[in-house]
This record gives sequence, C-alpha cells and structure tokens, in this order.
Amino acid sequence: MMVQSTRFGEIEVSEETVLQFPYGIPGFLEEKTFSLLPHQPNSPFSFLQSLNDPDLTFIVVDPFAFIQDYDFEIDDEIAKELDISLEKPPQILNIVKVLGKIEDMTVNLGAPIVVSWHKQMAIQYLIENTTYSIRHPLFTQELGQEPKGGK
Amino acid sequence: MLALTRKVGESIVIGGNIVVTIVDIKGDNVRLGIDAAKEIKIYRGEIYNEIVAENKLAVASMDLHEMDKLKGISKNK
Repeated sequence: MMVQSTRFGEIEVSEETVLQFPYGIPGFLEEKTFSLLPHQPNSPFSFLQSLNDPDLTFIVVDPFAFIQDYDFEIDDEIAKELDISLEKPPQILNIVKVLGKIEDMTVNLGAPIVVSWHKQMAIQYLIENTTYSIRHPLFTQELGQEPKGGK
Repeated sequence: MLALTRKVGESIVIGGNIVVTIVDIKGDNVRLGIDAAKEIKIYRGEIYNEIVAENKLAVASMDLHEMDKLKGISKNK
C-alpha cells in the first residue's frame, strides 16, 4: 500500500509492517494505525510512521541493542489483549528523542511500545512504579563505538 | 472541570460505566477506588502527562543527514 510521509515522501509499505494501536499513543490518541519501517538492515533503529498523518513519524529503537538487561513486567490484562506470552513473546521498541545533536539522543525506557506481531497490534505501555527514565541518554560513548550496556 | 465534594465511602459515576469511590482519607492523601472496564487504562495524572509531553517532543524532526550518523551502529545480538 502507498503511504504519505513528510519525511520519506510517497512510499510503498507492505501490509505486514502495519500495526494497529487500538488505544492510540498518549498525546496522539486518535492515531490508531502505523507502519514500522526499518532504518537500515541490521540497524536497531526504525521509524514508526502514521498512516493517517504524514507529519507524524517516531524514531524507535530496539532497547536490547543498548541495554541488555532492560526488564519490566506487563500486566495480565495487557498480555491477554495482545495475546503475548513466553511462547508468543512481544517485540519491544522504545521511542527515541533527538532535539539537536544525535549524540544527545534519549530513549523513553519508562513507556515502551509493546508489539504483538501475530495480532499486528501494539500499545505504548506505561510501566508502573519504575525507576527507568523516560529520557535515558542512549550514547555513553562516541558514536561509532559500541556503547556499553547499563542504565 | 466538574468539582464535587465527597465523603469516605461515597462515589462518583462517570459516563454510566466508570465508578470512582473515596476509599480512605489520611491527612493530605485521598485513596480512590476506580471501577472501569479493563479496556479503560488508568494512570496517575502526572505520569501520563509526562509521557504525553515526551511523545510530542519526540515526533521526529531530525533531518536525514543526522540520521546518517546512526549507520555505524548495528544490533548487539
């Protein structure tokens, strides 16, 4: 299907990349449909593009590429809605923010995006009582070197 | 905003389906009980508002030239 994106122009996305967000995203509650577009093969970064609003693109990252021990519980209700379990694990992505220099990029570890690919459904999950930061600096070293894992 | 005064044990019904009950009051703290369908997500206001603000800031405005700097980073698996 063809998708309009201010960032990418008019692009072809496959149905398999489309995710329904039945509860929208906090701040964007009406945005219920996104496509997950890769940045580069083998890159932990991706783009979450709204299929409804060409201007709405989030940069997301696979948190485990940087923080191997990132860990949180998902409550049973959400797990049931997304139909996720040990046998059908979710994919976790976190929204990234860059205001100026890319070296200052922060990642929202407190509200991960939990994706159930077999249901093509996702939710931004606000972790309860967490010490994870919603503005965790991603790069502790110069870009180009592998960053060490850590909170 | 609608403001109502309630005593411990009293409740408020919202939209016919959401019930907020005053469970306890201790000094400055009011303990609320909320009955709602499981599809209705309930959050502490300040936490939710922080996420909204952060999401709005995060909407990608970074130019693609900057994104090129990410090319060297590969998945650490």
